[in-house]
Amino acid sequence: MKILEFEKVDSTQKKAKELAQKEKTPWLVALAKEQTKGRGRKGNFWYSPKGGLYFSVILPQIDIDNLQILTFLASFVVAKTIKENFKLEPFIKLPNDVYLRGKKVAGILTENLICNKKVKISIMGIGVNTNLDKFPKELKEKATSLKIELGKEVDNQKILREILKGLQEIFQKD
Amino acid sequence: MKFKIKILDKDYEVEIKEEKDGVKIKIDKEEFFFKEKAKTEKKPSFSQKRESEENEILAPIPGIISEIFVKEGDLVKKNQKLLTLSAMKMENEILSPREGKIKKIFVKKDQSVKQNEILILLE
Repeated sequence: MKILEFEKVDSTQKKAKELAQKEKTPWLVALAKEQTKGRGRKGNFWYSPKGGLYFSVILPQIDIDNLQILTFLASFVVAKTIKENFKLEPFIKLPNDVYLRGKKVAGILTENLICNKKVKISIMGIGVNTNLDKFPKELKEKATSLKIELGKEVDNQKILREILKGLQEIFQKD
Repeated sequence: MKFKIKILDKDYEVEIKEEKDGVKIKIDKEEFFFKEKAKTEKKPSFSQKRESEENEILAPIPGIISEIFVKEGDLVKKNQKLLTLSAMKMENEILSPREGKIKKIFVKKDQSVKQNEILILLE
C-alpha cells in the first residue's frame, strides 16, 4: 500500500484515475487535505474543505460479478470504523452513504473502467466529514462531521488506516 | 392437467393446458396465457456470429445509462470512453474494445438496461 498525499486537488478520484492509467498499482491511495471539485455520484458536489478525510484507492483487479457488492461492503467498513472508534451509532444508507443522527457523515463513490466485459480499473473514493466545524447553509441540515458529533477533533490518519485495512480484508476474503 | 392446491386455508383448482402457441393456466375461474417466445430468426453460422459479437458492446451488468459520450458515425480509439452505466450507485465507464466507427447506438440517456443488452455496435 502506497499513500500519495496532496495538499489540494480538484478531486482525489480524478487524481487516482490519472495515476491508474499510468501505472496500474493496486492499493495506491490518493489522499488530499482539500478538494476543490470533490465529487459524489453523478457529478454531485462533495463539500471538501481542509479538516476532512478525502481519498481514492486504486483497487486490485476484481471480477465483474463481485463489483456490485463492493460499494456495499465498503459502507460497512466505514460505518464499523466510526462505531468502533467513537462509540457512535452510524446508520448505513445502502449502498453508499453513512449517516449519524440522520445526517450524512461519509460517502463512497466507486468508479470502474470496463472494456470487453472485463474490469480494467476500479477506483473507490471515500469522503469522511471528520474535523469539519461547520457546513454551508444548504448542507447544514443534511450533513454532519465527527467533530460536531463528538465535540472534539479526531485523528484522520488513524481513521484512514483503519478504513484501508478493512478494505484490504474484503479482498483477502475472496 | 388438473389439480388442486391448498395455500394457507384456501383451495385452488388449477388447470394447465398446452396449446398451439403457448400454455394456458386456469386458476379457479381466472385464466392466464403464457405465449411462447417468438421464434428467433435463423441462427447465424458460427463465423457470422463471431464477427457480429466482436462488434457488439454489451452491458456487463444491469444498470442505467447515465451518460453517452459518442454519437453514431464517430470514429473511436481503443479504450476511448463510450458511455457511463450506473449500477448499484457505481459509475461504470464502458470503453471501446478497439478502434472503429460507431455504427449504431441502441440506448438513450437515463434508459435502464439489462445485463448483456446490446448498447453500441461498432463497424
